[in-house]
Amino acid sequence: MSAQKLPTSFWIFDFIFKVLPHLILFSLIIGLWEMAVSYGMITSIIIPRPSRIGSAIVKLYITEGTIYRHFFITLTESVVGFLIGASVAISLAVCSSLSENFKRYVIPYAVVLNVTPGIALTPVIIAWFGYGMGSKIALAAIISFFPIFVNTLTGLVQVDEDREELFQSLGATNYQVFSKFRVPAALPLMFAGLKIGLTTALIGAVVAEFAQATDGVGVLMSRFSFQLNMAASLATLLSMTLIGLLLFYTMEFLDDRIVFWRRENRRAAASRARARVWKKQLDNT
Amino acid sequence: MSIPDSTLNPEAVRHAERSMRSQRIKLHAGIFITLILLWEFGSRIGWLDPLFYPRPSNIMRSFWLIYVQNGNVWYHLYATMSLVFMGWIGGSILGVGLGALVGFNSLLRRFLKPYVIVLEATPRIAVAPLLIAALGFGAGSKIAIIMLVCFFAPFINTLSGVINVDEDRLELFRSMRASKMQVLRKLVFPDAIPIIMAGERLALTAALSGALVAEFIQRDEGIGSLILVYTRNLNMASAFSCIFTLTILGFLIFKGMEKIDHYVAFWKYENGRERVSAKRRAAMSQVGGIR
Repeated sequence: MSAQKLPTSFWIFDFIFKVLPHLILFSLIIGLWEMAVSYGMITSIIIPRPSRIGSAIVKLYITEGTIYRHFFITLTESVVGFLIGASVAISLAVCSSLSENFKRYVIPYAVVLNVTPGIALTPVIIAWFGYGMGSKIALAAIISFFPIFVNTLTGLVQVDEDREELFQSLGATNYQVFSKFRVPAALPLMFAGLKIGLTTALIGAVVAEFAQATDGVGVLMSRFSFQLNMAASLATLLSMTLIGLLLFYTMEFLDDRIVFWRRENRRAAASRARARVWKKQLDNT
Repeated sequence: MSIPDSTLNPEAVRHAERSMRSQRIKLHAGIFITLILLWEFGSRIGWLDPLFYPRPSNIMRSFWLIYVQNGNVWYHLYATMSLVFMGWIGGSILGVGLGALVGFNSLLRRFLKPYVIVLEATPRIAVAPLLIAALGFGAGSKIAIIMLVCFFAPFINTLSGVINVDEDRLELFRSMRASKMQVLRKLVFPDAIPIIMAGERLALTAALSGALVAEFIQRDEGIGSLILVYTRNLNMASAFSCIFTLTILGFLIFKGMEKIDHYVAFWKYENGRERVSAKRRAAMSQVGGIR
């Protein structure tokens, strides 16, 4: 509100006033925590000092840099697993939205897969796919399958009857009805499913790493925990949060670009871009 | 085409529907049995390694073994499910309570938002080894993990249910001078409770997964450690029968939560509304009769 009245160079003050209370609270909590541990009110084995966690972060990320390899391994596992799970889920959902019979025969199996906690499959999948990255990718794919499948299917099936009638009365072909009407209507829900699926894929990868692995953030984490090196363990947890944030915001970005009509400013930007293209075409002719 | 039919002879239509349904069920069962038979024969012929992909007949046999002959699954099932329910109840009390607190207090909401975002991005099951290291082996750390895993869905859903009150309705309530308590009871709760129940359903599923992960790490008792041990011994048939047990459990949980939802958030469902209004009608007519 005030940002519009102020000259643009003052946005930095606005930002500071917004962030400062948060920063003060954060440092207050950290300070209290540090004091509580150093006076022995909290056992330092269970909850390490913030300064220890800070030095563990520095050690893991900067001086030794051990985390990066594990970080990228876990990231790859969850992304590849997610891509496999998502492509299977979306293609099955599209097929079942096109054919009533296909849907009828796929859904019971999908539901059975859903009510089984996917994590229960971890040991079996490790036995099938080995100790390497394959088993983590498989678990991530299996776990991320259902939310994507169900959201895409719901989006494709749940359509506005009036609009469909309009399409048909304008003589749209089946393909046009599908690509111009059903898919755009389904995309917002599909992206919601993809976001959930991406988070669950990360969970799948990490859990499979807990069960059996040699590399990855999950292994690092359980190793540090069992050494009772809680500071390093918490620092590793931070890297999982980073992976989660990275994946989530990538998805959010894609969501904003692809489903641009949901957000006012993205809609405006997309229509500007189209206007530019049309203008260029006009100039050329 | 079907409309004149139904007006002419509803009995015939119902009969046709019934026969179509039974046909469908037969087809489903046929496909299922064919798949199972393919699996069985594929394993017997040697396409599938029976060591890794157990035969359906072996899975059935190990169902018999672990449930009846040895009966060892009951103990582990009890160990897991008791912890799941305890953790779920604890986690959802915490989640709903904190969610309501944060939802009603905008200052708290503002300051907690960044932490909630960070917590949302962290895979919460990943904290399991940390909690086990902090709280030691045994039931305590398992319950803590389950609570942590199922805290979040009720928390977020309560928060959004409490915040997203319809403005127009709120204005109506205000203009009729509803007290705060009345707004809460008659406006906020009826809208929020279905969302909270959806969160609870998610939480219970998550609780089962959390318990399994805790057991995978601790490897002492519970269905998760049973699966792990059977897989380690390459006794895949028994591992699969444990997994199918979990499928049945998951199904029961799903159905059970649906049932609870029908009772708690009855106004969302047609038959629930009818049931409650019939009860109220009866109560009211009784009061009228006494007068």
